[in-house]
Amino acid sequence: MLKTRIIPCLDVIKNKVVKGVNFKNIRVMGNAVEMAKYYSLSGADELCMLDINASYQNRKTFIKTVEAIAKVINIPLTVGGGVSDLSDITDLLNAGADKVSINSAAVKNPKLIRKASLRHGSQCIVVAIDGKRHKNKMKVVIKGGREITKRELISWAKQVQLMGAGEILMTSMDTDGVQNGFDSNMLKKVTSNVSIPVIASGGVGSLEHFYLGHLTKSTGLLAASVFHSGKYKIKSVKKYLSSKGVPVRT
Amino acid sequence: MKKKVIGLIDGQSGNIGSINKAIKDIIKGRPYRLKIIKGHFNYASFDKIILPGQGAYATLMSNLKKLKIIKPLQEYLENNSSYLGICVGMQILSDWGYEDKITRGLGVISGDIKKFRNKKLIIPHMGWNTINLNNDDTIITNSFDKKDFYFVHSYIFQNIKKSDVLAFTLYGQKFPSIVKKGNIYGVQFHPEKSHKHGLNLIKNYILKS
Repeated sequence: MLKTRIIPCLDVIKNKVVKGVNFKNIRVMGNAVEMAKYYSLSGADELCMLDINASYQNRKTFIKTVEAIAKVINIPLTVGGGVSDLSDITDLLNAGADKVSINSAAVKNPKLIRKASLRHGSQCIVVAIDGKRHKNKMKVVIKGGREITKRELISWAKQVQLMGAGEILMTSMDTDGVQNGFDSNMLKKVTSNVSIPVIASGGVGSLEHFYLGHLTKSTGLLAASVFHSGKYKIKSVKKYLSSKGVPVRT
Repeated sequence: MKKKVIGLIDGQSGNIGSINKAIKDIIKGRPYRLKIIKGHFNYASFDKIILPGQGAYATLMSNLKKLKIIKPLQEYLENNSSYLGICVGMQILSDWGYEDKITRGLGVISGDIKKFRNKKLIIPHMGWNTINLNNDDTIITNSFDKKDFYFVHSYIFQNIKKSDVLAFTLYGQKFPSIVKKGNIYGVQFHPEKSHKHGLNLIKNYILKS
C-alpha cells in the first residue's frame, strides 16, 4: 500500500534554514545541510527546500547547498524558490534535486510547465500553487500572497496537470504560518479535481492536523515549524498517524 | 587481484548523481572500479552494468540509440551478464513500451510496459510502497520482504511470465516491482532514493553477485 509522505520543508537563505513571517524578523533555525541530514536519518519520506531569497548573489551559495544536501541524503529532494526558466530547472537537477518546484514563473508563463516536463519528465516537475480566498473565490496568489492573480485556483490546478506537472504542492495562504491546521476545504477541492499527487502545505500545528491533512486525500503532508522547533519528531507524527490507521513508512 | 569493473550507464535520462555516489561509497576500499558509460563500449570489459532511468521509455531508448549504447548493451545482456536496471532502466528490458508512442525495447524479459489500468488512481504512483517477494535469492534476500521503497512511475510491466517476477507491489492492482531473468535484474523503484533498504539492495547487487 502506498504510504502517506511526511515532508519537512526547509526555507533557506544561502545555506541557512530560516523562519520569518513575511520576510520580517527572519530568524536562523540552523545549518541547512545538517538539518537535511538529520531529517533524512530520522524518517522523513522526502525533503523540500526553498530558496526564499533567490537573489543573484545568494543563488550561487544556495545551489552549492543543494549539492551538499544531495550528497548526504538518500531520500527524494524537491527544490524550489526563484525558479524562473528552463535553465534554472536544469541547474537544480544537475545540482542533485530530484524534483524542481515552479511557482510564480508558471503562473506568468504556463508553457514553462510543458517545456520543463517534456525535457525532464513530468515526474520531476512540481508546480507549487499558493491559494487564497478573495471575494468569496479561491484565487491563485504570488509573491508570498501579496499579489492576487486573475487565476481561479481550481481551474489553474487542472491546467497545470494538463500541461504536464507531475505533482502539486498546494499551500493555502489563508492558513500558512498560523498553525491552526491545513486548509482542508481548499485541499479537498484541489484533490477532487486533479488526478496527480497533491502535497498539502500550510498550517500544521498539532498531530491531529496531520491526520486531517491525510483526510483531504493529499498524499504528502508538508510541515516546517513543528519539526524545526522540535515540537514533534517525524517518528512521533508517524506513530500517531499509524494509530489512526493511516499507512506510513516506519 | 584483478578489480571487477562496474559500468554505470548515463542514458541522459535523469540524474545519475545519487546512484553514482551510492556505488562509490559501497566499493570504497574494495576491489572494484566504477566506469561511467556515455557511449559505445566493449561489453566484455564489464562485470556488472547498472542503468538508472527516469522519464519516458521512448526517450531512454532513443538516447541509448544516439549514444551507440544499444548494440553493446544487447550483446552484454545476450551473454546473461550481470545487470541492474532501475525504473525505466528496468522497463526497457521488455518487448514493447506504450508510453508516448509504441517503442521496441531490448526484448530480454517478455512483456509490455503499459499504463496502470485503474483510471481512478492518482498517477504517477509516487511515494513509498511495499515490495512482496515471490522468491528470494542471494541479492534479493528475505530481509527485503515487506519493506518500503520509493516509486515514481505511471507505467508498469504487463503480460510478463510469472517466473520472471521476483517481487510485486500493490497499487490499484498487483504489478511487478522486481523482475529477474538469470543474472539480469530490474527494479521499478529507486533504490538510490530508498534510504537504508535501497542502499542495502545496491550493496547486495554489487558485492554478492
